[in-house]
Amino acid sequence: MSRANMFNVAIAALALAAGSAAASDAELMAQNPPVRSQLLISTVQYTVPDIKLVRDDSKAVSLPDEINDGRPVLLNFIFTSCGSVCPLMSAIFAQFQQRLGDDSGKVHLMSISIDPEQDTPERLRAYAAQFEAGPGWQHYTGTLATSLAAQRAFDVYRGDKMSHAPVTLLRVAPGQPWRRIDGLVTPDQLMREYRTLLAAR
Amino acid sequence: MRGFAALGLALVWASSALAQKPPESVGEAIYRHGVLPTGAPLEADRDPGVRIRGAAAACVTCHRRSGLGMMEGRQTIPPIAGSYLFHPRAGTVDDLDLPFVEGMRPDRDPYTEATLARAIREGVRADGNKLSYLMPHYRLDDAAMTELISYLKKLSPGAVPGVTDLVLHFATIVTPDADPVKRKAVLEVLTKFFEDKNHYVRAQSPRLRSSRRMMFKVNRHWELHVWELTGAPETWEKQLHAKLVAEPVYAVISGIGGKTWAPVHRFCEEAALPCLFPNVELPVVAENDFDNLYFSKGVLLETELIAHELKGRRATAGVHRVVQVYRATDVGKDPAAPLAAEFAGEGLTFINRSIPARAHARELSAAVRKIEPGDALVLWLRAEDIAALGSPPPELSTVFMSGRMGGLDRAPLPAAWRDLTRLAYPFDLPERSRVRLDYPLGWFRIRQIPVVALEEQTDTYLACGIVSDTINHMVDTFVRDYLVERVETMLEHRIITGHYPRLALAPGQRFASKGGYLVRFADPTGNRVVADSAWIAP
Repeated sequence: MSRANMFNVAIAALALAAGSAAASDAELMAQNPPVRSQLLISTVQYTVPDIKLVRDDSKAVSLPDEINDGRPVLLNFIFTSCGSVCPLMSAIFAQFQQRLGDDSGKVHLMSISIDPEQDTPERLRAYAAQFEAGPGWQHYTGTLATSLAAQRAFDVYRGDKMSHAPVTLLRVAPGQPWRRIDGLVTPDQLMREYRTLLAAR
Repeated sequence: MRGFAALGLALVWASSALAQKPPESVGEAIYRHGVLPTGAPLEADRDPGVRIRGAAAACVTCHRRSGLGMMEGRQTIPPIAGSYLFHPRAGTVDDLDLPFVEGMRPDRDPYTEATLARAIREGVRADGNKLSYLMPHYRLDDAAMTELISYLKKLSPGAVPGVTDLVLHFATIVTPDADPVKRKAVLEVLTKFFEDKNHYVRAQSPRLRSSRRMMFKVNRHWELHVWELTGAPETWEKQLHAKLVAEPVYAVISGIGGKTWAPVHRFCEEAALPCLFPNVELPVVAENDFDNLYFSKGVLLETELIAHELKGRRATAGVHRVVQVYRATDVGKDPAAPLAAEFAGEGLTFINRSIPARAHARELSAAVRKIEPGDALVLWLRAEDIAALGSPPPELSTVFMSGRMGGLDRAPLPAAWRDLTRLAYPFDLPERSRVRLDYPLGWFRIRQIPVVALEEQTDTYLACGIVSDTINHMVDTFVRDYLVERVETMLEHRIITGHYPRLALAPGQRFASKGGYLVRFADPTGNRVVADSAWIAP
């Protein structure tokens, strides 16, 4: 066991003694503030559930149809009342789309709400406008059940909306596996991942 | 003598001024709204080269109105209220004389104004290390920075009115137009809940300490102040400010209103006093307000449910005109107006028939009977009027009624109306909420509280439970804004949610249950209702 690990175990044991998960996070943060997002990149096959969602133009759409429209697809999960993490994830999508330039319509960016009862299509449109979303980027809402089904299918459900974690999913073509990025990716890193996958297709 | 009177007046003036919110400072505008002194939007860069501006860049989005930070997923947003930044280095949290919040840092050199300005502009901590990647780098000139830092200092938790070493004071507000039976029932639940709560406090209980000595919590006695308003609604705000001066309270819990709640809502916003889950049919819908939390939009949610259903059925049912009927002095007029507005410019005519307060059943019957083919009827009426509807006119095929006003599944809807009529039902279906109601109903039974106003009593019990659970998680940090913030984030975890399938809030959300059903009676008599729509969250 490395010294750092032993240290962390000791901290975790202390936190357990206090019986508070929150305190343990705070303590770990205090000792090791995450200066930069730690990324975990994996390749995963997901089965897209056959569910209907409501797109930000108020149309009912099928999730598989939206995902399998032939274009490369980027997917994340957000909610419009979210304070810290979602605005950052959306800003990253916005920058990614900007960097695509003339090709921006050739990549499908999808953001699914994890707070569907609050996030009406109208609210989603306002949210998208705030990030100057171009035509290739759609936001989706639905019922609690369909939003949950989508979250579970992509393994991003964390019990409630305030516990959500930043995850970006990327797939260059239907049938291909997904590239999953856990953590806050930078627009540059995301673009590199995208170009690499596209070249390997 | 005259001098005394003048002094008395001056004191009254000073104390009522104290109870009201001071005008917004420059620092507050930056912190809460992301607006610079010039009126331009606040701008910042985030570490990955992401520019944010205006409200999205405002400190409040992460650090919250209290400045005490929050937990979001795996992220701990630390407190930035002044005392948490400028406190001298301490060995442990116990050595700090500061209310506990997650993410507070005892073992850190204090910021100075210069290092804090550097942290805000460059994301560098007092010790020279980098701050979390979540912290934006702000573009602020020296003058704006000074204003912001002085605002952060003002956020430092201090003494909170209504909180003493041993007692937590709460108020509940009752308006003079509240239904007397419901008023009594609500107050009985509140009184019993407070009695129960205090039953466990024996004399002065010692401070609780964990093995790490992190938790320093005192069991406090809960004291309820019943604020009964009198006279016209225009005078309520003044009465409430005077009551708050006379009996300082930490928060307002539950309460019951009648036709209007708006003056109470305004008072709570002005006094920055949390006003948590009152029993009101007609809440105030104001997205940017903070201190007032409600279970649902009440009859305004019913408007949205009916509008949703009417849009779907309009064509098949051949509806050309909508006739809305309500009593002039009741709340019905308020949900009727937005229903008409919802269909503005869509070629649907709206006729509103207001019935005088004292009008007899005959007049009501006339208002309901003047119907043409292609009319849809919307009834914003109480049970007494519903019972007196008589037989429906033969031309009538589409009827909606307010479930809440009419008595939900207890509405005395005559048999001949039952096939035609859909009830807006802003709660879960009775067969589904039954299990969730077992807990409050059992609680009432054991305490011998007769159930005479089921919805109001269970909502009151829920409001008490929510406040109590939230305060238990706040340790000793009795900051008013922090109470509202903790309710916002914790509410979604509740299992006992009474008539609601789910209660959830978030920053900026003020209505915890967001949907409902359209239902109809299953039988010519009795209380059985069945869903006529899926759960609609308009």
